[in-house]
Amino acid sequence: MEAKPEEKVEFEEAEIEYVSYGGEHHLPLIMNLVDQELSEPYSIFTYRYFVYLWPQLSFLAFHKGKCVGTVVCKMGEHRNTFRGYIAMLVVIKPYRGRGIATELVTRSIRMMMESGCEEVTLEAEVTNKGALALYGRLGFIRAKRLFHYYLNGVDAFRLKLLFPPPRQVL
Amino acid sequence: MADKPVYEEASIDGQLPKLASIPASDTTVWADASPLLQAACAGLRDGELIHGDNFNLFAAMSALEIMDPKMDSGIVCTYYSIDEAIENGAAPIPISLDSTIDVRCTIDIMDHLLACEAAWHKGHSLAQTVFSCIYLLRLDRTAPHALLHSYCRIIRATCKAVVSVVSDARTHEEEDLFTMTYGLPLNGDGDDKCLSILNAVEETISRQLRACKATSSKRRLPEDLEPLQSNPNLEEGFCKALLCRLRFRKHFFHVLSCMKRPQGRGLESARKHIASCLTELESILKSAGFLRSCFDESCEGDIDDKTTASGFEPIGFDAMLNSRLSAPTPPRAIKILSWKKAVEYFVKLLHDLDVICSYSLDPHLESLLRFVVQFQKSQPDLVARSHLQLLLVQDGKLYGRDPFFAVINKAAALPESTKNHDIQKNESFLQLGMLVMNLLKILCTNAAWQRRKLGKFLQDWRVIYVQLELAFRNEYGEVSSSSNDENTCMKIFQHILLWVEEQTYWIAFRFLILGFELELYSTGEYCMVYWYLYAVLIKLAEKTHLMMAVSHDTAKRKGKKKKDSPKDLARESRIPPAVLFLQCYICLAEGLTMMLAALRNEIPVFHSPSPFNTEHEKFVQHFELLQRACIPDHVSYPSYKESTTHARFSTLAMYNYFKDAQRIAKEVKSSFSNDPERLAELRKLEQVAEHNSVAQNVICRLGALDPSLRVSFEFSHHPFFATVVVKRS
Repeated sequence: MEAKPEEKVEFEEAEIEYVSYGGEHHLPLIMNLVDQELSEPYSIFTYRYFVYLWPQLSFLAFHKGKCVGTVVCKMGEHRNTFRGYIAMLVVIKPYRGRGIATELVTRSIRMMMESGCEEVTLEAEVTNKGALALYGRLGFIRAKRLFHYYLNGVDAFRLKLLFPPPRQVL
Repeated sequence: MADKPVYEEASIDGQLPKLASIPASDTTVWADASPLLQAACAGLRDGELIHGDNFNLFAAMSALEIMDPKMDSGIVCTYYSIDEAIENGAAPIPISLDSTIDVRCTIDIMDHLLACEAAWHKGHSLAQTVFSCIYLLRLDRTAPHALLHSYCRIIRATCKAVVSVVSDARTHEEEDLFTMTYGLPLNGDGDDKCLSILNAVEETISRQLRACKATSSKRRLPEDLEPLQSNPNLEEGFCKALLCRLRFRKHFFHVLSCMKRPQGRGLESARKHIASCLTELESILKSAGFLRSCFDESCEGDIDDKTTASGFEPIGFDAMLNSRLSAPTPPRAIKILSWKKAVEYFVKLLHDLDVICSYSLDPHLESLLRFVVQFQKSQPDLVARSHLQLLLVQDGKLYGRDPFFAVINKAAALPESTKNHDIQKNESFLQLGMLVMNLLKILCTNAAWQRRKLGKFLQDWRVIYVQLELAFRNEYGEVSSSSNDENTCMKIFQHILLWVEEQTYWIAFRFLILGFELELYSTGEYCMVYWYLYAVLIKLAEKTHLMMAVSHDTAKRKGKKKKDSPKDLARESRIPPAVLFLQCYICLAEGLTMMLAALRNEIPVFHSPSPFNTEHEKFVQHFELLQRACIPDHVSYPSYKESTTHARFSTLAMYNYFKDAQRIAKEVKSSFSNDPERLAELRKLEQVAEHNSVAQNVICRLGALDPSLRVSFEFSHHPFFATVVVKRS
């Protein structure tokens, strides 16, 4: 997923502004990015499902007013565990490789941890080396392989991050 | 849909439903929603919806946006119905009034159908592959065109046979798209006659071929026989191209029917038909040269990407015609295989089927398990795997012949008298039979699914062990003076318990190594994975050794009672080759564990902490299922840490496990001289051991001193024992 050098945009990391989901005006920005970059098609209902129920888990990254990345998540009870789920993570090509995705997803994961999640999961295409490396650095393991998971016929990995049990307060 | 009439009634007259098929209860009541819906229609903007509390992600994801080409499968069609397509001349009969072109187009249709069939087998829906053929969708229309009709009929019958094999096998857990035939005309009348129809057409063309050969050698043409088409120069080539295609279909259909015969009775005939299929496929491939050269017009684009041998686009196909029949999901992007790739697919499928057909019908369970694992190594596709599974487990018996109790009997080396013993009626024994049957089924599934099933399955094996042990104690634990029968029972239980343990560790071993095949482990996790593998292998080797000792004992008892010769005693004290084989695995696993631990402890790059959790959490996640089933007992994260924290380059230098592995591999090879599969495995083990032994020496000498040393792990010699690569950066 490495972008070609000529496509890269010159910028300072400090110029990137991270914003928590702030309302309907952010929705078209998120939809545009995801639609451009991810293989799966999602209806507006899917986006709203996430950002209405868990606005605190979605973040956007801006560079000079332009939205260059976003993360969309949820959390809830799953088979007796309280689990966070990263649904979509996108950074547009010219801005990749500079830690924007890591920063976005780290913010979401921290929120999940603080909200009492025991683990975080997501699916990634087995061919998406960039994403796999990113989540690997954050402590995710590849828990399962899902055969022909995506509409395009590619297998997926189910990635999982298990938080350490919270320390007992005496 | 049970409440649909109610809904309609309610919405039409605005009255409360009188005939509610779902009755109101204490907490629910039927109410008229029409005023709310009407108000909503006026008030809702684009993309808004009204939903209940139970609106979830699945519901949200099930919504499709009309007119969005990524989601709306309806908007991308050329035709709205099959009839409309036919009226517009998309699938004419005859295909052309020019008989030469008509024949060429028929061959194109045959080739494209083959490509579609392969794409279907490879995971696309039947509706968007084979049934994108308009002729197939309205098969009766083709009746006047004997050639096309016979081919389409056998295709339909073949698809039906394949669907039934795959659905019966139920190995397709995540490949459910395969058997979805909703709305497709798969069940036609008279398909049982497809072979006789095909034979008649084949007979006619063979006569036409003979006739044209006779003409070319200036002999007289039989007057009653029309040539296939009008161009005499092309007659022979066309006849031949058609004959191999028709014959391939015929033999392939026979292969499927033969393999379905009960108790493996048709396997020998199946092999003959497989051989014929392969011969016809060769002729089909050869016909491409003729088909490409017989017309002056040449096709654009790379011939290798085309779905026909001639390179022409086939007539009568529309992949989007059925897209509305596919499940409530967005349309899948379908890439039909090229004709060349399709032929390759069928060659591979036929070879896989041949491997299945040529295996013994009376195998020992241990070798059967090895056979299935070996078979899976060639990555057979769904159709071949389903056939294997259906053959292995028929009517609850192995190959439909041996009850699983008898199979276990043989495998666990139980005394001869067990066969008629009442013990087989014991509940736990019956369950054990089921477990073995399920094990065989699971081993036939795709690797991803297989690993998940095996992981959960371990728990069942552990439970059955505990149950058997309990039954054993209850019945025989307190008997001091034992009769002969009780002695037999005791023996049966002891053997069975040992055997169950051996199988459990074998499954655990499979579970762990499938993780390598599926690329589930990252380099940072190799240390714990090899450590766990080592722990499981130790137990497996131990149980295998014990099992071999007791079966040797049983075998000896079965033979004539004679005094143990010194030679026998010497043989017994030796470690059996099968155990040495495992010993070689153990050395490699231990060697890799220790090297990885030393690297992690001495070089900072190998120890990169993650921000949210530690190695402990990763250990818990990777081995959760094994830990839950106590496989092996007393193995935990602290014991892993204990055995790896002290590893250093200096300790590594003191013992080279790889040298042991290399020596054992070399020694034990001669014991497997008639087992090519394990011999090949031993050669690979020897190579890994040799490489890693050298790498370990280099790391020990330079590791701590040379910061430019880069160590990486590759699976170039063996699928799950990594080769250590040392480089200077």
